[in-house]
Amino acid sequence: MNVDVPPARSLDVVERDANTMTLSLGPQHPSTHGVLQVVVEVSGEVIERADMEIGYLHTGIEKSAENLFWTQAQTVLERMDYLNPIGNAFCYVLAAEKLLGITDKIPPRAQQIRVLGAELTRISSHCVWLGTHGIDLGAISAFWYAFNIREKILDVIESFGGARMHPNYLRIGGVNGDVPDGLLEQLDALIKEFPGRMGELRKLLQNNPIWRDRTIDIGTISAEEAVGWSLTGPTLRGSGIAYDVRKAFPYSGYETYEFDVPVRNEGDAYARFLVRLDEMDESMRIVQQARARLAEPGPVVIDDPKIVAPPKETIALSMEALIHHFKIVSEGFRVPPGDVYQSIEGPRGEMGYYLVSNGNNRPYRVRTRPPSLYNLQCLKQIAIGHLIADMVVMIGSLDPVFGEVDR
Amino acid sequence: MPSSQTPSIAGYALDPTTVRPPLSDAEILRISPDELRETLVRLREEGCSMLLDVGGVDYLARVPRFDVVYHLLALPTAPASVAEVGTPRRVRVLVGVPGDHPHVPSVSDLWRSADWAEREVYDLFGIVFDGHPDLRRIQLPDEWEGHPLRKDYPLRGPAREATPRPSFALKSNVPAGAPPSGKVAEALRQQIARARGEEQ
Repeated sequence: MNVDVPPARSLDVVERDANTMTLSLGPQHPSTHGVLQVVVEVSGEVIERADMEIGYLHTGIEKSAENLFWTQAQTVLERMDYLNPIGNAFCYVLAAEKLLGITDKIPPRAQQIRVLGAELTRISSHCVWLGTHGIDLGAISAFWYAFNIREKILDVIESFGGARMHPNYLRIGGVNGDVPDGLLEQLDALIKEFPGRMGELRKLLQNNPIWRDRTIDIGTISAEEAVGWSLTGPTLRGSGIAYDVRKAFPYSGYETYEFDVPVRNEGDAYARFLVRLDEMDESMRIVQQARARLAEPGPVVIDDPKIVAPPKETIALSMEALIHHFKIVSEGFRVPPGDVYQSIEGPRGEMGYYLVSNGNNRPYRVRTRPPSLYNLQCLKQIAIGHLIADMVVMIGSLDPVFGEVDR
Repeated sequence: MPSSQTPSIAGYALDPTTVRPPLSDAEILRISPDELRETLVRLREEGCSMLLDVGGVDYLARVPRFDVVYHLLALPTAPASVAEVGTPRRVRVLVGVPGDHPHVPSVSDLWRSADWAEREVYDLFGIVFDGHPDLRRIQLPDEWEGHPLRKDYPLRGPAREATPRPSFALKSNVPAGAPPSGKVAEALRQQIARARGEEQ
């Protein structure tokens, strides 16, 4: 008996198993840590496929930076990874200094202040990560403890940088002004209080059975896969590879500081959590050493009026100082042509800048290597086979910052 | 009037990366798109296991017009201590891509991370990665026109483009030697002509 064969379905209808369902998480959901849309295909509650849509925060920062003076560009670049403003600026000024050929001339005190700022920022960034990750998993109290530490750190950053969130304190050639009187005492108080606060946090979460149940064996990624996905930072070190830019390619005198690189081999969300907690302790060790070195006074910018404007007081007394001030404010300075790649260890991994100068007073090309973009991408693999409730755990454990992913 | 700080632009405006000995931040390879896959496969076999980043640069007046820049890093692929990682080898591969045929073979089958990286270069520079399984825009909406990080893409949108801007504000976007253009330059030119006419 002949039966009419129904016409083939048009290609835009996705062939799908009748048991699966497509769900959209975000982009407006607090647990997506910004504006991220994850489209998951689930069978029951098990994720079979995950894809992501990013770009909701794209503001063309790279394009803006290419049309600003070398010093002005730093201001917009600081806003990319908004939890790590000093780190962004740090990487950018190091790259620009390489192009200018003044890397060796940066005064040691300026390098110490930069290291101090970068490590304090790393701790405060991890505090935000821990607090929000905790909220995602229903551990509300961890948020208050973590933000308590963060507030104290932001107070210190404010007192030497001038602002809590985006101090714009680093300069090509040094830092903007010496640290104020009383900073060392403030740091001493922070250093004294910190271990106790961290102890509270650890007590709350580290051996908490609910926390362990929800993070152990979730989002596991092996070392080989982690390298294939270009993961860096705590996400890579949670999978066993102790790659830390501070150790592998030391900058700003990191080779003279004593610290360890925490590593775990498990590769799951709990391993990444432990690596970040240990990193906060290690960062505090570096802060202590930097604080000890800051007791010695010294210059904080290079002595080159073509790059760093002379002190404001001198412009009433010296004509040259006035001219240099005018030149730097009105047309910036020129950077010799060439290209350079510089990276630092940010809180989320290897943050890199590829700068091209054509000899002008503006960068010709500013390419950022955003660690969050690469770290986030591996979610496509690690989510498969987990329950949909674990999606927020996995996103949180990768610690993406969307200002940086989308730029 | 050029100040003492003004460098002579003639020599390196087209490709600033070739004017002086490269800074010793990585090994640098300069290749054509045809050699790309072969080179990257060889580097990968030599141990450059991580594709750190893929970026683009638009040199506008240069031939070939674009550079696609691959940053590679030689990391172990099994758990390793700080001493075992040591100072890994860094390689930077610069691929010159012609402006009239911006095509590069994709390496997304070699490194999974190349997926988003190549999509971003495609989105912002309009360079097509042949063989990429899912080459869509990633940062901008699908219906967006143009590729913003190209140097001939305007800095401001059409609504605000009418605002006259002093020509120095756009200096870095204009290739060296191009005559000043725009409303301000035109007004100045007319003013000068008028002044000369009155004198004569």
